[in-house]
Parts: sequence; structure tokens; C-alpha cells
Amino acid sequence: MSRAPASNQTSASHQDSAGEAVPARERGDKHSSRRPQRPRPAGASYAGLLLFAAALIAFFSWISTSNLRLDVGVARVQLYPAIGAGLVLAILALGWRLRFQAQVVFGLLAVLGFTWWAGSGVGFTLRPLWEDFNRGWPVIQEFLSPNWGFIFRVWEPWLVTLSMAIMATFIGCSIGLLLAMFASPVSSPNTWTSQAVKAINSVIRSIPDIGYGLLFVAMLGGTAGGAGPVAGVLALIMFNIGIVAKLTGETIDSVDRGPLEAADATGSTLIQRNRIAVLPQILPGYSSYSLYVFELNIRASVVLGIVGAGGIGSTIFVQLSHFNYSNISAIMIALVVVVLIVDYVSLSIRRRLT
Amino acid sequence: MIEFKDVNVVYPGGHRGLKDVDLTIGAGELVVVVGLSGAGKSTLIRAINGLVPYTSGTLRVGDDVVDPRSKGKLRALRSRVGMVFQSFNLVTRISVLSNVLVGRSSATPTWRSLLGWYRPEDKEIAFQSLERVGIVDKAYNRASALSGGQQQRVAIARVLAQDPEVILADEPVASLDPPTAHMVLQDLRRINRELGITTVINLHHLEMARRYADRVIGMRSGEIVFDGSVDEATDTAIEEVYQRSLTAEDVAP
Repeated sequence: MSRAPASNQTSASHQDSAGEAVPARERGDKHSSRRPQRPRPAGASYAGLLLFAAALIAFFSWISTSNLRLDVGVARVQLYPAIGAGLVLAILALGWRLRFQAQVVFGLLAVLGFTWWAGSGVGFTLRPLWEDFNRGWPVIQEFLSPNWGFIFRVWEPWLVTLSMAIMATFIGCSIGLLLAMFASPVSSPNTWTSQAVKAINSVIRSIPDIGYGLLFVAMLGGTAGGAGPVAGVLALIMFNIGIVAKLTGETIDSVDRGPLEAADATGSTLIQRNRIAVLPQILPGYSSYSLYVFELNIRASVVLGIVGAGGIGSTIFVQLSHFNYSNISAIMIALVVVVLIVDYVSLSIRRRLT
Repeated sequence: MIEFKDVNVVYPGGHRGLKDVDLTIGAGELVVVVGLSGAGKSTLIRAINGLVPYTSGTLRVGDDVVDPRSKGKLRALRSRVGMVFQSFNLVTRISVLSNVLVGRSSATPTWRSLLGWYRPEDKEIAFQSLERVGIVDKAYNRASALSGGQQQRVAIARVLAQDPEVILADEPVASLDPPTAHMVLQDLRRINRELGITTVINLHHLEMARRYADRVIGMRSGEIVFDGSVDEATDTAIEEVYQRSLTAEDVAP
């Protein structure tokens, strides 16, 4: 136990600063032999970790495409792999000092390795932010002088966006509830139905909102074809079904089964049981998800407008193609305000749901 | 009347819940089932309304054979057989009256259940049931606002709203304090006497069993090892059922 005195030193110096000088240190020493120490992980596992770390560093150096070099006196090493190697060694050293389990250190190293690999895959670097700053400066200047008058001139598309969100929330959440009831093994007629509906839900959820937007705009025609908002509402509905069915389904999975058993014991049908015993239990969660989905819809409908689904997003798209950045800036500010209001209202309603 | 003939329950894992049970419970009887945990008391009670499907033999309630394979027949049976649970199993977020109306489900069309729009006659039955257990003034309170004893009485009212021939009670007082437990058992006893409803109750405590039962049934590892009147259910007889000497805890809470 050669390390024990060192750790006592640190704890004693803490107490020193708290005002207790010598007695505390004496007490610390007296007890140190009897207090259990956190077991040191096996040396062999740390040796394995060293190998893994070496492999990681080699990997960093291998995937690096940068020509930047760092002069470290004896040699010039690649800059980015050197930073990576520093992080790897820091994790190893911290793990050894704090006596982490080898698995924990391995996990940390693996996360670092994956992130590093992903970052180098897309050539992630922050350099364009300052190197291309001059080109972006006029845009930023226009953004910094928003055209306030424009906010009130576009109230109509705002109304469209709001209506889209409301419609989609209502329809999407209703269908979502139904699918959730069929998806959860608790409320579903049989496991076969539950599995099938779960699979359908997964497929619905796997397509992002913008994917649905592009699909419905292509099918119905976008703002140009006059069907923009309809396509937008349909896209939002699919987006909402995915979220609500997933979250509500999981809430149903975790309801108290007692009342369900009681309803069964009275001879209720499945529909009656779900209405009487399941619905009251999930209602707070479900209402909360519906409000959350409404918040998401306000934001998502902006993006959908850009692909031609009507609403304020279409206005942004038009202004963008005319390079009217001061108008876009005004809409963005209005968007932040609207989203904040909706979030606040929905949050205060959700807090009252128990 | 409830009639078990060579009834066996084998659970999917292979565990035998009931072994060759032969038992006849007469109409209007109040039977208390005693036995240690895992002796098969719950299985016996739950086989009667099909919550646990029996795997062989014949089980009749009245003139009808319990058929665990037919959902429709089971629902028809369960509408005549009410059940009270250890943990009350109320929907705590809704009103007491709504909970009692759950008992009217089998007599209510699905669309009415969906809307929660019950017929006035059904509401009247629910109110009468609440009156019988003495908590009609709580009808519009949330079930969660009631004490344990009151909640169990709501559960009994839910059963009464079914207008049942049989009441099954699976450890109905195990989560209640002794005075409340006695009140709940008195309710069950009184209902059994006044309405002539056949009642089967699982209990832990001998003293309660002797006080409220007409007949005591003792179970051990899925078999009925004692069946007799209250007078016959002496300490010695029950020690034989438990295969160990009685402790103070066995007799009274």
C-alpha cells in the first residue's frame, strides 16, 4: 500500500484549509490502515488497455489526412494524431489514478476512437469558420439589421403554419393513440397484432419529417400546385403518428396491471378494458406528448415550408432566393418568439397534468 | 354452486398449481381457504373465473363448465363471478362511481363504455352497491383520495354492481390494518348472508378464518388437505395443514 500515504496527504490538506490543522492529520493517519482501499484493477487488464491505446494512436495517425506538423524537439509529429494520442494517454492516466475498472476505461477509449473516426470521416474542422468569415460578413450584417416591418406583413403564412400544426396534431395524435393501443402487448388483442403494428410504427418513424414533406409535395404538388399546406399537414401527421405511437405505446407497457385484471374479472371486452382501465392511466402522459408534438410541429412546419409545403417556411424560401437576409432575420426573430410562447404555454399546461 | 372434479393446473413452466382437486362449494356458502404462501390458494380461486386456466378435469360454476379456451364463454362466466383483489386494483385516477361502473361493463354496450355514458339504471345499480358498503357519499371522489379500507369497499361495490352469483376474494385484507380488515370481512360476510352470494376467500390468519367462515379449506402444495367446519379447524388440524406448529402470527395479525 505505497499509495495510501499520498492519498492521506491530499485529504489532510483539504482539512487544513478548513481550519483544522494537526489533529486532523493525526486522525487520518491512525485510521488509514484500517479503512478499505478501492481495489486496484488487475495489472494485466491495464496492459491490455495499453495495447488498445497504442492501436488507437496508430489508427489516428493512419487516418489523418492533414499535413500539419508539430515540432517536439526530437522529431516533427502529425498535429492532429498527436492531440488524439494526448487524449488517449490522459484517459489512461486518469483511469489508473482513480482506479477505474478496465471496462470503463475501455469504454471511454472506444467512444473517443469512434468520435475521432467519425470526425475525420467528414473532415471535421472549425477552420472555415474563421477563414471564410469575410465572405459571410455581408450576410451577417444584413441579419443584424432585421426588417421589423416585414414581421407583420407575413401574418398570413404564420396563420397557415399555425393551422397546419393544429390540424396535424389533432389527427396525428388520434391515430397515434389507436396505433399505440394496438402496439403495446398490454392492450393489444394478441401478440401477433402487437408485433405487426410495432413493425409498422418503426417504419413510419424511420422516415424523417422532411422525407414525408418531399413525398407529399411530389404527390400533391407544392405551393406552386396550390396544395402546399395539405401536403404539409399530411407530412406532419405521419411525423406525429410515429412519435405519439412510440411514446404512448411505452407508457401503456408500464401501466399498473391490477385494474386491467379487475376489468377482465368483470367480463369486460378488450375495448371496454382499454377504455376503462388503460386510458385513464395513460391520459396524463398522452396529453403531455400531444402538446410536445404540437411544439415540434411549429418548428417542423417551417422546415416543411422550405420544401414547398406552405406556411412561413415557404416565405423564408422565397426571401432566401431573393437574398433578402434582413427579411429572413425578422422571420427568424418572430419564429423564436412564437416557439418560446408555444413552449411556455404547453409547459405550463403539462405541469398541471398529473 | 362450484364444482371441481379432478381439476389440475399445470403452469407453462411445468409447476403444478393444483393437483387432482375435488371440491364442491354449495350455493350461499362462505368458504375460507387457508394455507402457506405457494400452497395453491390463489390458483384455486383464479381457476374458478378462468384468470388461471385449468389444464385438466372439469370445473363448473352453476350449470356451466368453465371453458378457458373460449373468450366469449369466459366473459359470460366472469360477468356472474365477481372478484376482490389484495391490492384493490382500482383505477385510482377516476372517480369512485366510475370504478364501480366497471362492474356494469358486461351489461353495457361497447359504445356506451367508450363514451363513458352509462344508462341511468346502471348508475342506480352502482349507487345501490355503494350504499351497501356504506361509502355512497364518496361517489364522486377520486379513488386515490380514499383510504385502503375504503378502496377495498369500492372494490366490493364494483363486484356487487355485477350482481354476481359468486364472489371470489384473493387475500382481500392482506394489505389492511387489523381493524379495517375486520370491517371489510364483516362487509363480505353480511353481503353473503343478505344476498346469498356464494363466497370464497383466501386468508392468512386463522382467527379471522374461524370468525367469518362457514367452512374452512386447507391447502398444501396444490392439494386440498383439510376440509371441514369452523369447529373442526382446530389448531392441531391446521398445524397438520401447515406441517409445522402455529405461531402467533398465523393466528392473528
